[in-house]
Amino acid sequence: MLEFRDVDTYYGELHVLKRVNYDIKQGEIVCLLGGNASGKSTTMKTVLGVVTPRAGSVVFDGQVINKMSTSARVKRGIAPVPEARRLFPRMTVHENLEMGAFTRNDKDGIAEDLERVYQLFPRVKERLKQQAGTLSGGEQQMVAMGRALMARPRLLCMDEPSMGLSPAFVEQVFEIIQSINKQGTTIFVVEQNASMALSIAHRGYVLQTGEVVLSGTAKSLLENEMLKKTYLGEMGH
Amino acid sequence: MVSPGTRTWSIGEALAAPFRRLSSDQQRWLILTLLAIAAVVFPLIDRNEGDIDAAANATAFAVLALGLNIVVGLAGLLDLGYAAFFAIGAYFYGVTSSWQFHPEWSSFWEPFRWLGVVVHYHANGEDVVHFTLSFWIAMPLAALVAAFFGVLFGAPTLRLRGDYLAIVTLGFGEIVPIVVRNWPTLTNGAMGLNGVQAPSLFGYSFGVTSSPYYYLGVGLIALLIFVSSRLKDSRVGRAWMAIREDEIAAGAMGVNRVKLKLLAFAVGAGFAGATGTFYVAKLQTATPDMFMFPVSVMILVMIVLGGMGSVYGVVLAAVILQLLQSWFLQDLSGWMHVLGRAVGNEWMQQIDLTQSIELIFGIILVLMMLYRRQGLIPATRATRALTLEQQTALPSRGTIDVDLRVVAPSELKPGTAMLEVEKLVKAFGGITAVKEVDLRVEPGSIVALIGPNGSGKTTLFNLITGMNAPDRGRISLLGEDITGVPSHLIVERGIARTFQNLRLFNNMTVLENILVGQHSRTKTGAVGAVLHTQTMLAEERETREHALEIVGIFGNRLMPRLNQVAKELSYANRRRLEIARALASRPKILLLDEPTAGMNPAETLELAEQIKSLRRMGLTVFLIEHKLNVVNELADKILVLDHGEKIAEGTAEQVHAKPEVLEAYLGRKVAHA
Amino acid sequence: MTFGDVLIQQVINGVSLGAIYSLLALGFTMVYGIIELINFAHFNVFMVGSFLAMYILEALGLNGQNVILTGFPLVGVLAVALVGTMLLSGALGVLIERTALRPLRGVPGTAAMITTIGVSYILFNLVLLTIGADAFNFPNPMPKVRWGEAGVVLQLREVLVWIVAFLLMAGLNYFVRHTKMGKAMQATAQDQEAARMMGVEVDRVVMITFFLGSALAGAAGLVFGLYYNYTNFAIGYTAGLRAFTAAVLGGIGNIPGAMIGGVIIGLIESLGGQLLEVRWTDVIIFSVLVLVLVFRPSGLFGRAAVTKS
Repeated sequence: MLEFRDVDTYYGELHVLKRVNYDIKQGEIVCLLGGNASGKSTTMKTVLGVVTPRAGSVVFDGQVINKMSTSARVKRGIAPVPEARRLFPRMTVHENLEMGAFTRNDKDGIAEDLERVYQLFPRVKERLKQQAGTLSGGEQQMVAMGRALMARPRLLCMDEPSMGLSPAFVEQVFEIIQSINKQGTTIFVVEQNASMALSIAHRGYVLQTGEVVLSGTAKSLLENEMLKKTYLGEMGH
Repeated sequence: MVSPGTRTWSIGEALAAPFRRLSSDQQRWLILTLLAIAAVVFPLIDRNEGDIDAAANATAFAVLALGLNIVVGLAGLLDLGYAAFFAIGAYFYGVTSSWQFHPEWSSFWEPFRWLGVVVHYHANGEDVVHFTLSFWIAMPLAALVAAFFGVLFGAPTLRLRGDYLAIVTLGFGEIVPIVVRNWPTLTNGAMGLNGVQAPSLFGYSFGVTSSPYYYLGVGLIALLIFVSSRLKDSRVGRAWMAIREDEIAAGAMGVNRVKLKLLAFAVGAGFAGATGTFYVAKLQTATPDMFMFPVSVMILVMIVLGGMGSVYGVVLAAVILQLLQSWFLQDLSGWMHVLGRAVGNEWMQQIDLTQSIELIFGIILVLMMLYRRQGLIPATRATRALTLEQQTALPSRGTIDVDLRVVAPSELKPGTAMLEVEKLVKAFGGITAVKEVDLRVEPGSIVALIGPNGSGKTTLFNLITGMNAPDRGRISLLGEDITGVPSHLIVERGIARTFQNLRLFNNMTVLENILVGQHSRTKTGAVGAVLHTQTMLAEERETREHALEIVGIFGNRLMPRLNQVAKELSYANRRRLEIARALASRPKILLLDEPTAGMNPAETLELAEQIKSLRRMGLTVFLIEHKLNVVNELADKILVLDHGEKIAEGTAEQVHAKPEVLEAYLGRKVAHA
Repeated sequence: MTFGDVLIQQVINGVSLGAIYSLLALGFTMVYGIIELINFAHFNVFMVGSFLAMYILEALGLNGQNVILTGFPLVGVLAVALVGTMLLSGALGVLIERTALRPLRGVPGTAAMITTIGVSYILFNLVLLTIGADAFNFPNPMPKVRWGEAGVVLQLREVLVWIVAFLLMAGLNYFVRHTKMGKAMQATAQDQEAARMMGVEVDRVVMITFFLGSALAGAAGLVFGLYYNYTNFAIGYTAGLRAFTAAVLGGIGNIPGAMIGGVIIGLIESLGGQLLEVRWTDVIIFSVLVLVLVFRPSGLFGRAAVTKS
């Protein structure tokens, strides 16, 4: 469904992603792990078209989308749950959800999806009229996920959904991710919290300073001692 | 077609060839001398009184543009109400040298009469004071008065963003002419002052002929060029440019932003005030309309056209605009009239293109911003060629023979920490970024701070360096409490830092960046910078030597690039430059925020060696770093933050053995797998 | 006239002036909210708008105050003039944005603001050079209806200003709060990158913002002409600065704030002129601007930060 073929991404002169390859198949949960500054968020931005790769190709549904605008990508079925959630703080929860469906015009479908979001996140339904900026971090995470679902995406891209949340809440978030996936949405999740991500993912990739150093099934990664070492910097170059 | 390899020489190039062979300093002197000669002989060649008069008026605006250039170009403070200070200076002289204002005589005025600035005038039953302040005294006084208002109007804008600063200054620019208009007893209101005394020099009155004013104006321009150039290449000028480039970094390098911004406002306003006296003396009248917004815009156009911060660019632009206005547009109108008569077009015969000068100003502003924001003569110099010495400088990897003044261990009371943080707390809008953190950094050690994203590492650095004030807790340096000390004083105490996302002064050269780093260790003020006093010259020499020594740490990485602007450097070199800039402040402890970010493995290794050798020289280093292999290699002690709390402390082995650390990074299950 | 009468009369005047400033302030505040730009061109889009309105009214057969209409023809003529002026002014705003400002998107510092000063100067001088410096008699088809006698007088022109301003502001409010594009504007103002991730095309939002702001400035130009019975090349500067002050007072970026701010500035102008002297009005208003920026930079009703972090 989504493929990175030898992608190089730069921030100015800073070489962030170095000939990176990913392959995400329909119906999977794939997680991208790595420590600080390993290039995880840049991967997300490349998927969404916020930054453009300098070399290589990003392929979605068999089509190279390197130059495609973010809005066109959203229309084709990629929806983001950005890092730090990025809700519209002075809009109500309901309006935030509506913004998720910005590229859609099918009223009935939107209403249907709203119901679906309410079922997934009963807490969100209680807060519909509240300004998003006044919610707690966990509630904001739910709204951000709901907002992304309102685009009726085929690929949901989540950037650090556990960041800043309490451990109990993190588990809840990951359970919801799993149930979203069971309803047929492919999920690409970037996480620092490897154990949480691997517990629900089918496969994973591990990034270190812009390069994929490990990849495999979730199970094989969980058991791989190398994973710890990447995080602790014991793996030299 | 010209075949490759052969060069065709145009006449222009042939003439320019000898000029090119001169050094840039010689080129500059040559141009200056030619300009000076042209300026001096102009009235002798062109005997048309009207031309000289126009040129004399133009000098006033050129001086204003040079003055505003200090404020806008050097310090980066966009002042849209600059004409206000011009007005203040003009009215100061106008009022004190005309018959407009004559209070009743009283003994209060007796000392002033003795000083010769007033006369006791009684005739026709009046018994009043008449001011007779000499132009030559009024001019510096007016500069002082205007400078005072510069500080007064500048003070409220200090914390505002650039665009709001512009609006507030525009507001003051509106208020001043209104006050002038509405205060007729002092200013004769909208009617304007009349009969302002012409200056005289050694008994020769300037009168109403234009030449003396023209020469005075040229002299003022020369003075301003001199002052601007000297300021620009001084501690003060560099601090202004640093503020323009990055205020926060300037503060972290010890620049007192409040003081220097006010100084910029004062200097700029002072020159405008002095110019005002000149202008009103020449016209011998002053009305409020002469000082409205269009004047401020015209001066802004000169700066935008010439290049912000570029002294010669501004002079060139002033000349171009004046030629355009008083010569080209007039002639063009004349030609249009002739053409109009020939083809019988009424409209063409009537056209007066000089009316369109403001339209042209607008077009200039738009086109320059769209296509050439750096102006005709950009202020940032092009890269100069390397000298042989610089080219052959060897890279030093690890060994540093620089005398960095650090605290000798003997000075310390045993048991005193270099840096100690106790129970530090900081919350941002409900989220506690730093929770009750305690830490100690021993003198001469390297301590690393690690932790997942968002764990509060940079916030902790910001608290230590005075960029944010902690909510609770205590920070001390060598046992001395430094909690709440503002950032520009922190660096003076001996804490220097670098920034995660690089905050270099991008449009300043490598050398200038490092010189700003020494701001807190040097003293030269504006006066010293202009006069080139012995102490100033000695200090400047010393800071430059020290800068070169610092650059030597990185071998030939930076040495050949001393005169390149920072933004032209490679990413790794910019990281190095930031460290060099911090070291230039002669710190006792150096705080590095991800120093190797964006460096390749070889460069990372090189920097790690250099950091080690800094420690060998006695410098204490406290760093945030994500490349944990670097941390493991370098650090004597590692501190781990998670969610703002310190969760572990110790050597690499000790820290890695702690399950909490792995959990913080990896989550629980993997950590225990 | 008692002092109370004078006061009420000045409140009526002030609210009318304020309505004009509010319309103008909305353009400043909307553009600032979206791209953090102080748009000096707005001053003279307003001025050009008043000339456009004048020409439209003349094209409709009106000449000075000679043709008086009532009932449906009056409403029809005014509606046509209003819509026509708004469309043309809006188009002017879009033209400015596309040609002069879009290339500077993302350029740090004051470059874009300096460009708007240049554009403002160009508009001002084009009008001065082509149309001239005279004050033009503005066509006004309104009958001289007035309520009240010696004391407090309310004229039809004031009622008209209020109605037009109220309808436009209500319309804008509806647009921003209840339409998809309006919500995209809000979203873009609050978090541009997140809005882009939702599929919002930010360039289009900016364009529409300029269109709306400039259209409202055009409407203000029409209302100004009908209120004062004249227009002139120089009306943009003073009114523009007052409207900008209104936007700052209401909290720049805050749409309802700009509306209220405009009325407050109108009242300060009329009452201040009454209590003090008219010639000090501008000093009072600029002092308000400076004081608000210095002591309460987020305005009376809060929002965007104008200070540096």
